[in-house]
Amino acid sequence: MSDTEAPFRISIPDDELESLKQKLALTRFPDELEDAGRDYGAPLADIQRLTNHWKDTYLSKWREHEAKLNEDFPQFTRDIEVDGFGTLNIHYVHKKSTVVDAVPLLFVHGWPGSFLEARKILPLLVEDSPEHPSFHVVVVSLPGYGFSEAPKKKGFGVPQYAEIGHKLMLALGYNEYVTQGGDWGSLITRKIAQVYGPKHSKAWHTNTPIGEAPHPTRRPWLLLSYLLFTLSPKEKAGLERTKWFQEKGIGYFKEQSTQPQTLGYSLADSPVGLLGWIYEKLVNWTDEYPWTDDEVLTWISIYWFSRAGPAASVRIYYEVSNQSPEGFARNIETPIPLGHSYFPKELAVLPRSWIKASNPTLVFESEHEGGGHFAAHERPEGLVSDLRKMFGKGGPAFGVVPGKTGYVWLLMLPLEVYVDRLSQVLRIDSSWDSC
Amino acid sequence: MSDAETPFSIAVPDDQLELLKQKLELTRFPDELEDAGRDYGAPLADIQRLTKYWKDVHLPKWREHEAKLNEELPQFTRDIEVDGFGTLNIHYVHQKSTVVDAVPLLFVHGWPGSFVEVRKILPLLVEASPDHPSFHVVAIGLPSYGFSQGPSKKGFKCEQYAEVSNKLMLSLGYNEYVTQGGDWGALITKRIAQLYGPKHSKAWHTNMPLAGPPQLTQSPLLFLSHHLFKYSPKERAGIDRTNWFEEKGSGYFKEQSTQPQTLGYSLADSPVGLLGWIYEKLVNWTDEYPWTEDEVLTWVSIYWFSRAGPAASIRIYYEILQGSLQGVSQNMATPIPLGHSYFPKEIAIHPRRWLKAANPTLIFESEHESGGHFAAYERPEALVGDLRKMFGRGGPAFGVVPGKTGF
Repeated sequence: MSDTEAPFRISIPDDELESLKQKLALTRFPDELEDAGRDYGAPLADIQRLTNHWKDTYLSKWREHEAKLNEDFPQFTRDIEVDGFGTLNIHYVHKKSTVVDAVPLLFVHGWPGSFLEARKILPLLVEDSPEHPSFHVVVVSLPGYGFSEAPKKKGFGVPQYAEIGHKLMLALGYNEYVTQGGDWGSLITRKIAQVYGPKHSKAWHTNTPIGEAPHPTRRPWLLLSYLLFTLSPKEKAGLERTKWFQEKGIGYFKEQSTQPQTLGYSLADSPVGLLGWIYEKLVNWTDEYPWTDDEVLTWISIYWFSRAGPAASVRIYYEVSNQSPEGFARNIETPIPLGHSYFPKELAVLPRSWIKASNPTLVFESEHEGGGHFAAHERPEGLVSDLRKMFGKGGPAFGVVPGKTGYVWLLMLPLEVYVDRLSQVLRIDSSWDSC
Repeated sequence: MSDAETPFSIAVPDDQLELLKQKLELTRFPDELEDAGRDYGAPLADIQRLTKYWKDVHLPKWREHEAKLNEELPQFTRDIEVDGFGTLNIHYVHQKSTVVDAVPLLFVHGWPGSFVEVRKILPLLVEASPDHPSFHVVAIGLPSYGFSQGPSKKGFKCEQYAEVSNKLMLSLGYNEYVTQGGDWGALITKRIAQLYGPKHSKAWHTNMPLAGPPQLTQSPLLFLSHHLFKYSPKERAGIDRTNWFEEKGSGYFKEQSTQPQTLGYSLADSPVGLLGWIYEKLVNWTDEYPWTEDEVLTWVSIYWFSRAGPAASIRIYYEILQGSLQGVSQNMATPIPLGHSYFPKEIAIHPRRWLKAANPTLIFESEHESGGHFAAYERPEALVGDLRKMFGRGGPAFGVVPGKTGF
């Protein structure tokens, strides 16, 4: 396959900015019930404030925001062939550490996320230090998201997203790698682990851990222990949160997984509609994260200006639900080491025993006192610290990628390697013995 | 409370027409997957065709459509006090039959319906004839729908919709009346029957008959038969249809009953978003009804130009059902005679024996070979035919309203 990699910079055409401006100027707001709070959905005062800011300030400064994004994210595109779906032009971020043997890591986002979610963790992951491992980071924009093309045919499901992620890593020369993912990124990196591990994917980490609930025939001991022993207050709170999500927070999921095209007309045509639809999640799914208006609007703008349009991004719910009628908590075991980070305001917060029973290759766990669904954005230091512990010296996944431990120096390499490295650092001719 | 009816004509202000025009011109469409058909939602080709027509034909001719509505449907408004919610200005259609002792009938719509659903049955219901009963018809615009005000406080539930409806009939001098309703109209008229029957509401008819599956403790024999005996092919088809609705067709329900405000931003701001959201139901919930563009767009325009705005119309789901379909089929029994019309493409179709067990006052049933959820609009003659049989001479509900037999 020829190397079709091309550098990419976000550069929204003027006419798209103009169209958005005109639409914002014509915004028609609904009313709201007295004292609705957040009970009925995204509050009107928030949406009006954000829309006014978008219209009056943010949009006119878009080129500044764009420039900052291009500065923070070294971006590229390349063609990737997907079996049965032809070639898709995929947008991604690729940043190498100065540490040559950094651990190659693929970061996979979900919905309503994007490559943007890696903004804060990127510099921390590539940073070199003798105290912790470094990573070469690849942040893929899933097909239908950001500036990646979307599939044109029906049936593009988790195996296809996994194929894209894997082939991208191979194309970049990372024959062996690790992954980090949340939301859809979790399901996709799990699939990568199942299909491409342990040969290529060597270990995976997720901040949206799941496990199967106790079941009389499939997990009888778990059910028994669940019935016999009470859950801790934390576990109870976690189940309450999970229950809230299943009962009150799942409307978007039900619509997106059954009638995504119907919803798509609104998301494509109405900036304030798209804003409301996503902003509600940014608030409800995080742990009181203090979103600035600019942060929210940049997040939404990635969707509004996306290459495939916002309607394409929700089709994943339809395709995956169709392909997995039994749900997402079955067939979840993987053949490679797994790490979990637990954040209290995640959407499914299950008792630890359920999670452990379903994930036999779990080698790393880390619990946090605060944080929610968008861990990389809300708790970047927390998440990166977990990855450093998991993959660092003494960590349970240290050295999973042979030769790419994440450190500048590694003990017990042949002397020539040290000399070679030293000469590179000191810029001395490596054939010093000829002196 | 003043007795006077204030006549009402739909007269959408020019600036609203202008805003809609500008928005339509700026429409940004999504793409669509190859061969998506109707599987993923309202098809793109349909929505593009309708949007273009709206912009180029329907909207420029809006005053004609408006005039026709005003001509066909005599409309009024009046203030109605609702306990705990203050006064709401309610819009309604009211047409009396020339038959003095016609049966007073309240017609209650649902979502995404409106008072417009009475359009075809109105002339048939009021029509005088020695062969069938006549009705004085009141078609209420539910609070937050059409040109009725919406409540500004939380908690406006089924009881409140029932209260408004009953008070409307009383204020019009109909101390005793019958009701017809589908969709929310079914649940609301059921509540009217429970709260105001048999004193005021004397009998009720619905085209969306409801019942939950039999419970072992409540109907043990039925529960056993449910598990032991097969259902007929028709009943199986009905069960399949009901399952389709719950599995594939209830996304709108889940969102509207948990996060209506979030969805409301889209419905208020995007005409094509509102069109897609409603049109999908107009197609999926009917029995291949051959919608014309004008019909669809008039239907959607009532929502777009509604007094309370389209976002208000969906709060009823949150207030009454709070995310779960379970509440729909509970607490069914009423103290007054009930009539059912069965249409094969209704969205919830239950086996006949469940319906009979859940509705002990069921005295009239009529089965149709075709037709869906919007019965009054799709099968006006059939629905009216059923009402005439139920309330006419020799019918099981003849003379339920003393002195108002319909003849």
